[in-house]
Amino acid sequence: MSVLQRNNVQVRGTSERAMIFAHGFGCDQNMWRFVAPAFEQKFRIVLFDHVGAGGSDISAYSRQKYSSLEGYADDVVEIGEALDVEDAVFVGHSVSAMIGILAASKAPDMFSHLVLVGPSPRYINEGDYVGGFSAEQIEELLDFLDNNHMGWSRAMAPMIMGNAERPELGEELVNSFCRTDPEIARHFARTTFMSDNRADLANVNAKSLILQCSDDIIAPNCVGEYIHKHLPDSQLLVMRATGHCPNLSAPDETIAAIRAFV
Amino acid sequence: MAHDPEPGEDIEDLFENAPCGYLSLKPDGAIFRSNATFSSWTGFPAEELVGKRFQDLLNIAGRIFYETHFAPLLRMQGFFNEVALDVVGRDGQRLPVLVNAVERRDEAGNLLFIRMTVFNATDRRRYERELVDARAAAEAASTALRDLNAGLEQRIAAAVDERMKVEEALRQSHKMEAVGQLTGGVAHDFNNLLTIIIGGLDSIGRQIDKMPESHELARIRRSRAMALHGAERAATLTARLLAFSRQQALDPKPLDPNRLISGLADLLQRTLGETIALETVSGAGLWRAFADPTELENVLINLAVNARDAMPNGGRLTIETGNASLDEAYVDALTEPVAPGQYVLVAVSDTGHGMDEKTLAQVFEPFFTTKAAGKGTGLGLSQVYGFVRQTGGHIRIYSEVGEGTSVKVYLPRAPADVPEREGAERLVEFAAEGGPETILVVEDHEELRAFSTGVLRELGYNVVEASSGRVALEVLQTSSDFDLLFTDMVLPDGMSGHELADEAVRRRPGLKVLFTTGYTRNAIVHNGKLDPGVNLISKPFTYEQLAAKVRALLD
Repeated sequence: MSVLQRNNVQVRGTSERAMIFAHGFGCDQNMWRFVAPAFEQKFRIVLFDHVGAGGSDISAYSRQKYSSLEGYADDVVEIGEALDVEDAVFVGHSVSAMIGILAASKAPDMFSHLVLVGPSPRYINEGDYVGGFSAEQIEELLDFLDNNHMGWSRAMAPMIMGNAERPELGEELVNSFCRTDPEIARHFARTTFMSDNRADLANVNAKSLILQCSDDIIAPNCVGEYIHKHLPDSQLLVMRATGHCPNLSAPDETIAAIRAFV
Repeated sequence: MAHDPEPGEDIEDLFENAPCGYLSLKPDGAIFRSNATFSSWTGFPAEELVGKRFQDLLNIAGRIFYETHFAPLLRMQGFFNEVALDVVGRDGQRLPVLVNAVERRDEAGNLLFIRMTVFNATDRRRYERELVDARAAAEAASTALRDLNAGLEQRIAAAVDERMKVEEALRQSHKMEAVGQLTGGVAHDFNNLLTIIIGGLDSIGRQIDKMPESHELARIRRSRAMALHGAERAATLTARLLAFSRQQALDPKPLDPNRLISGLADLLQRTLGETIALETVSGAGLWRAFADPTELENVLINLAVNARDAMPNGGRLTIETGNASLDEAYVDALTEPVAPGQYVLVAVSDTGHGMDEKTLAQVFEPFFTTKAAGKGTGLGLSQVYGFVRQTGGHIRIYSEVGEGTSVKVYLPRAPADVPEREGAERLVEFAAEGGPETILVVEDHEELRAFSTGVLRELGYNVVEASSGRVALEVLQTSSDFDLLFTDMVLPDGMSGHELADEAVRRRPGLKVLFTTGYTRNAIVHNGKLDPGVNLISKPFTYEQLAAKVRALLD
C-alpha cells in the first residue's frame, strides 16, 4: 500500500507548482469541490483524505500514530515527498491548518505558502488564552460522540452501520460525501479538540494567509488574531462568509482570497 | 355560527400544527419562519426564533457537529436526513430531535431557502439508548464467552499436558516394575543355585579338613577359597538385585536415625576420604523411623559413595535429619503411591558436580551408571530406591549441575506403640553344633533340599524331608514329634510355606518354625516386611549360618 493509495491522493493538472488541499474534521476531500477546480490551470492540484476519512485505507489507521496531529503531519510530508513537492501552496481547513503548520516545520522547503482556513492552535480556553471553548464543553462534545453513537453514525456513515434489516434506509441515507468511520471520527475529534499547537506557530518560515470567517463558533475571531500575532510571516483576512466552512458557503470569496495571496 | 374555512386556512393549520416542527431558513442560515409545533416543543415564540441560526438552538456538541458535518453535507448534496441532535429549549431543557433539511432552488439553481423538518425523537432516542445498551451487553457477553472458550482451550491443553506427564511417569514406573520383576526372578533362581554352590564348597571344606595336609590339598583349599569368595560376591550382587526389586526380606524396627548416623560416622568419614568434610545436622525432637537398620546403613553408605564420586576435588557431605509431614496435595502429585502422613527425613547432600535432568530421570534404573566402566555396578541408587519403596517411604532427588545433589529419604514414622530395640540386632555367633532334635525340612528344590538336610544331618539332627506342603502335612500326621519345621516360603501344589506353618503349629502347638527364601511375595512377608516373631534365614546361606540359626531357635 503506497502513501498515495493510503491517503486516496488525487492529482489534477500538469503545472510544476503544487497546491495541496487538506480537509478538516468531519469531511473528506469533497470539501474542496467548489474551490480546487479554480486553480487547476496554474497549479498541480493535490487532493487527499486523511486516514480514516473518505476513500483512505482504514486499515492503515493507528490509534497511537493519530493520537496527535504529528501523525497526520507526517502523512502530509510523505505525500509531498512521494510527489516531489517543493515551494508549494498548502491549503488547510480547520484542524488541517495546524497539520500544515506542523508539516511546514518538518519539511521547510516543501511549502512556500500556507493558506489557513478557520485555524485554531488550541480550542480550549487556558489562562489569558481564549480558544472559544471551556474544558467542560469539549468534554460534552466528546461525550456526545460516545453517547449519541447510533443516531449520529446513522446520519454520517450509513454504509458502516449497515442496514440489513432496513435496506430502504441505506438507500435514503446514502452519503457519497464526507464518509467517516464513526470509531475513527471519535478519536479524530479527541485528537483535534484536545490539541495544543500554539508553540509550533513560531517554527514556520513560509508566508501564511489566515482566512478568518465571521461568526465562526469553532474558531472565533480572537483565535485568528492570536495566530496572526504569533505566526512570523502571516496575513489575517476576516471574511464576510459566516460559519466554519467558507470553502463551501462562500467559495468565490475563498478563491479570490487565495488567488490574491499566491 | 360555523363558517366556511377561508382559502388556505386548512393549509395554514397543517403547517402550524403538523406533528413535526417546521423551520424555513434563508440561504445564510437565518430562520425567517417557524411553526407552532416547534414553538410548543422549545418554548421559543416564533418572533424570538427569527434571525437565529439553527445551530444557535443546539447544545455545544451539536453546534460543532452541525458546523463540521451537517452544514457541509447540506451544501454539498443539497439535503440531509435523520440527523440526531439535541435542541436546547428556552428553559434549558434538551429535546432530542431528528432533523431533515433540504435546499430549495429556483430553475437557475439559485438557493431560495432551506426547509428544515424537526421530529421529536424523545421516545426513539430512549429506544436507541436501550438498543445500544443491549448491544453493549451482548458484546460483553460474547466477549466473556470467547474468553471462557479461550480459557477452556488453555485448561484442556494444560490437562492434556498433565495427562501426558502422568502417562510418561506411569510408563517409567511400569518399566521399573517390569525390570524389578525380571531382576527379582533372576536373583531368586540364582540364589537357589548359589545356595547349592556355597553348600557344596562348604562340604568340600569340611571334608578336606579331615584329610592329611599335602601340596595338592593346599591347592584344593586355595581353589575352594577362591570359588567361595566368588560365590559370596555373587550372593551380594543378588541381594542388591532383590533390594531393587523390593523383594529382599526386611526386618523393620523402630530406630533413631540420629543414633544410627552417629554410629556410622566413622565408617562414612573413612569412605569419604580426607578431602571431603562430613557434617551432620540432627533435627530436634526427631521421631523414630520404622525401617530395617542394616539396610538403612547400607543406604547411607551407598549415598556417601555416590557423593564422594561426585566430588573428586573434595567438598562437603551433609547428612540432615528432620520430621516431615507429606500432605495429600504433595503425595497426589507423585506418580508412585505414597501414603500421606508423618515421615522422618534423612537428607544426604553433597557439593559435587550435580546431575542434569536426563540423568536424574534414569538414576533409579538398575545398571544405570555415570561412573567409568568397572567403577560401579549401577545398582547403588536402584537399591536405595527399592529399599525406600519397600519400607513404605519416599525418595526425592534434587540436583543442580555444578551445584550439587541432595537425596531426601522419607522413612515412615515408627508407630508409637512399638518399643525400640537396643541397636541393630546382630546374629549371635553360635558354634556350629547340632543336637538330638527332629527337624522337618520342606523344600521343593531337590538339590537345595539335599543340601539342607545334609547339613542338618551332619550336625546330628534327625531330619525328615518333604517336597511340598501337602506331603509335609502327611508326614506330620504320621510321624513322631517334631521340634522344628524348616520350610521354604514358596512351595508348589497351592500351599505356601506360611500356610503350612500355620497348619502345622495348629496341629502341634509349640512347634518352632524357620523360614527360608530367595525372594518372596507371599503372605509371610507383608509388603516385604517380616511379621514380628517370624524367623527367617535368607538364601543363600552357609553351613555355619544355618547351624547357628537352627541351634538358636531350638534353644
